[in-house]
Amino acid sequence: MKYVFHVSPNIKGRLTTHNIMRDLMIALLAVFACSLVYYGTAFGFETALHEVALLAASLITTYVCEFLYAKATKQDPKLFIKNSFGCVTALILTMMCTVNVTIYAIIIATVFAIVFGRLLFGGFGQNIFNPAAVGRAVIFAAFTGASTDLLTSATPVSDIATNFHWLPANAEMVDTFVDSFGGWGSMLMGTHGGAIGETFILAILIAGAFLIWRHVIDWRIPTVYFGVIAILTAVIALLTGLESYNGIPAWLWYPAIHLLTGGVVFGGVFMLTDPVTNPTSPAGRVIFATGAAVLTVLIRLKANLPEGCLYSILLMNMFTPMIEQTLDGKQLQMVNKARIIAGVLLVLGLASCFYVSATVEPVTTLKSAATSEATSAATGEGDGEHASTEATAGSDEEHASTEAAEGTEAAE
Amino acid sequence: MSLFLGPMCQHIPGHKSMTDKGQVLDLQPAKEVFIPLVAGANTNFEILVEEGQTVQIGTKLAETKTGFYVPVYSSVSGVYKGTEKRMHSSMRPQMHMVIELDGKQTKTQAFAPIDWNTADREALVEFTKQAGLIGLGGAGFPTYVKYGNPSGISTVLINAVECEPYITSDYMQAMASPEELIEGARIMGKMAGVSDVRVCIKKSHPDLIAKVEQASAGTEVTVVPVPDVYPMGWERVLVREVLHKEYDKLPAEAGAIVNNAGTAIELARMVKFGEALETKVVTVSGEAVDKPCNVRVPVGMPVEEILNHLGLKGDEVILCAGGPMMGKAIPNNKFVIDRAMNALTVLPVNPVPAIACLRCGSCTDHCPAGLQPVRIANALKMGDAQLMEKLGALSCIECGMCTYVCPSKIDVTENVRKAKRTIQMKSKKK
Repeated sequence: MKYVFHVSPNIKGRLTTHNIMRDLMIALLAVFACSLVYYGTAFGFETALHEVALLAASLITTYVCEFLYAKATKQDPKLFIKNSFGCVTALILTMMCTVNVTIYAIIIATVFAIVFGRLLFGGFGQNIFNPAAVGRAVIFAAFTGASTDLLTSATPVSDIATNFHWLPANAEMVDTFVDSFGGWGSMLMGTHGGAIGETFILAILIAGAFLIWRHVIDWRIPTVYFGVIAILTAVIALLTGLESYNGIPAWLWYPAIHLLTGGVVFGGVFMLTDPVTNPTSPAGRVIFATGAAVLTVLIRLKANLPEGCLYSILLMNMFTPMIEQTLDGKQLQMVNKARIIAGVLLVLGLASCFYVSATVEPVTTLKSAATSEATSAATGEGDGEHASTEATAGSDEEHASTEAAEGTEAAE
Repeated sequence: MSLFLGPMCQHIPGHKSMTDKGQVLDLQPAKEVFIPLVAGANTNFEILVEEGQTVQIGTKLAETKTGFYVPVYSSVSGVYKGTEKRMHSSMRPQMHMVIELDGKQTKTQAFAPIDWNTADREALVEFTKQAGLIGLGGAGFPTYVKYGNPSGISTVLINAVECEPYITSDYMQAMASPEELIEGARIMGKMAGVSDVRVCIKKSHPDLIAKVEQASAGTEVTVVPVPDVYPMGWERVLVREVLHKEYDKLPAEAGAIVNNAGTAIELARMVKFGEALETKVVTVSGEAVDKPCNVRVPVGMPVEEILNHLGLKGDEVILCAGGPMMGKAIPNNKFVIDRAMNALTVLPVNPVPAIACLRCGSCTDHCPAGLQPVRIANALKMGDAQLMEKLGALSCIECGMCTYVCPSKIDVTENVRKAKRTIQMKSKKK
C-alpha cells in the first residue's frame, strides 16, 4: 500500500472550467440558432448560409492562430487549444457583427481578437481587454465599407442615433421608431436588422438566466448594468420632459427603449460577464457594471458614436486592475469602500444626466423623409456613420473615462 | 444574497450515510499505545511517571511546563516504556510516551467528580482545567481558557454541525447520548454565567434535532437548525449564521463561546465519573476503505492497526488525518490517534490536472473568511509580502474552500498557505 501525499483539501467540486465554457457555448449557440432561423426565413437560405460561413471562417482562423502560437511557443497544440477556449471569442465576435460583413473582414478581425486580444497577453486568463470586443472594434474602425450586398436594412441603433439622437420626445416619435422595426414585439424577439446575435433580446435573457443558474456568469453584472442604465435613462426622461406613451410614463418606456435597442443586453449577458476581464470580487464587479452602465448611457447620448455598449466594455476593462487594487484587503472591511465608490459613480452618472438633458434636444418631429433618405444614400449604409464619427468620438471617450477615474479617486 | 459579498459558504456532498448507521466498533491496540505530548502548538511537557512504572487508565502522565496548563492522562493500563519521537498527525515529528499494554485495563480515579449543580462557576472552570479537557472538534484548544473571563459573554453555542464531509463521530456520539450532550451544554452555560445555550445541528439531521430537542425539554438549552453548508462548523461562520455578528479574533468579541458537541459530552462524563479522556470515537471513511465505520479506540492507538482491521482498497491511497477538506494527507500510516482527532479519511488517488486561472472569482465569492484567494495567489507570484499581508492572508484557516470551488482545479489553498509562510518568514527576519 502506497500512501500518496497531496496538499489538502483532497476533494474537489464538480464545476470545471471546461463545463463553464461548454455551457457558455450552448447559450451562445442557442441565440445563434435563433438568428439562423430568422435570417433564413426572412431573407432566404443564402443569408443563413453566409452567417454560417462567417462563423466557420472565424473559428478556423482562431484555431489556426492558436495552433501557430502553440508551435511558436513550443507547447502541445492539442492541449493548448483544448485549454484556451478561443471558440468562445470567435462565436461572440461573429454574433456582434452584422450579417453583411465580408468573410475577409471577419478573418482580419478574428486575427486581431485572438492574437492581439489574447495570445500576446499570454493566452487564456491573461488578457486585459475582452478579445471579441477588440475584434469588433477593429471592424468598426477599419472595415465599415467592407460589407456584402446581401442585406442593407438599417439597424435600430443607427436609426435612433441619427434620426432621434437617442431622445424621441413623444408617442408619435416612439411609434415611428419602433414601427420601422416591426413594433415592440419584434424589438423584443429580435426579428429586425442589427448585429447577428444582438437583437434577440428575449432569447439572450433566457440564455442569461440559464448561465446564472449554471454558475457560469455572476448575476450581479447584468442586474447592476441593466438596473443602472434603467435608472439613468429614467432620470433623463424626467429631466427632458419626454411625453408619456399610451399612458405609460416616460420614465418607464424610455429605459425600455434603451434596453431593447442595440447591444446592451447582449453585452451585459455575454461580454461584461467575461470573468477574465472583469474584477474577481463581487464588490468589484458591482463597481465595474455601474461604471459600464454610466459610460454606455453617456456614449449613446453625447459621444456621436451610435452605440455605447462596446466601448463602455473596453473602457471598463482598463479599469479592472485599478478596481481590484482599490479593493485589496479583507472583503468585509472593503464593503463600505465599495459602496462609496459605486455610489460616487452613480452620482456622477446622475450628474451627467443633467448635463445630457441640458444639451441634447428631444426630437419632436422627424426631419423630412427626403433628407434622411438622402443622407443614408450618401453614406451608403447605416454603419457608414460610425466611421465618420469615429474621430470626434475619441475626445468624448477620454472625457468619460477621466470622469470615471475621478470617481474612484474621490472614493479613495 | 448580498450585492457586495458572495455567499461565503458552499454545500458540499457529505457522504455521511457511509458511516452514520450501525454500531461503533470497539478496537484495542495489539501491544502498545503512543501518547502524543502535544497540546495545540505547545510541546513543552514535564513527564510525571518513571520509566518502567505501571500506569492505569486515568494515571496522570504529564503536564505542560509553559503556556496554557494541560495535563495528559493515560488511556490504557500497562507499563511506561519511555518516550519516542514519531510522526504526528500534524506532519511533524513529536515526542510520544510509549505504554505497553498489560491487557487488564484497570482504572484509577483520575480526579474527584464534582456536583455541577452546587459547585460555583470558578470551581467548575478549575475542574475543567485539572481534567485536561481540550476542544475535541479538531483544534485542541484548552477548554477552560475560553471560560476564564466570561464578562461580556451572552451566548454559548454548542457546535454539533460537523460540516466536514465523511465525518459522523459527533453525530454518532450525540445520537447515543443526547442527555450527556445537554448536561455538558448546561455545565458550559454555567461556566460562562449565561442561560442562553444553543446546540447547533445541521438541518439535514432531523433525527438528531428531534432527539436533542426531546432531551433538552424543560432546560434552558435550545436547538438551532443550521444550513447544510461548508464550513458551517467554523466558529466564525456559526456566529455569523446564528448571532448575525462578525468579530476580529475571538468569538468572545461577539459575546459568544463556541464549543464542540463532543467536548460537551466529554465534560459531562468527566464531571459525573471523574474520568479523564480515554477513548475517542473516530470515523474511518472514504471510498478507499473496505468497511467504513466509526471505531472507539484509546488515545494513542496506532492508525496502522485501525486500517488493517477495516481494510483498504487499491494500491495507492490518500490518507487524511481528519476530514478530506482540512485533514492533512499523511504519507504513511505510522501516526496515532490524538485527542483532538475525530476522523481518518482514505480516498482513492485521482489527480486532476490544473489549467490556467480564468479569474472567475469563485474562491473570493466562497471564502468564509472573506479573503480574496486569487489576489493573494497573484501577490505570491509577484513576491509582494506586504500585499499578501494587506489581503489578510494570515486570517486564512486553510478550510480548503478555495481549492474545492476552483473550476480550473488549482490548489488555491496551497498558494494561500505559501503566502502565510512568506509573511511569517519575513516578520521573523525583522
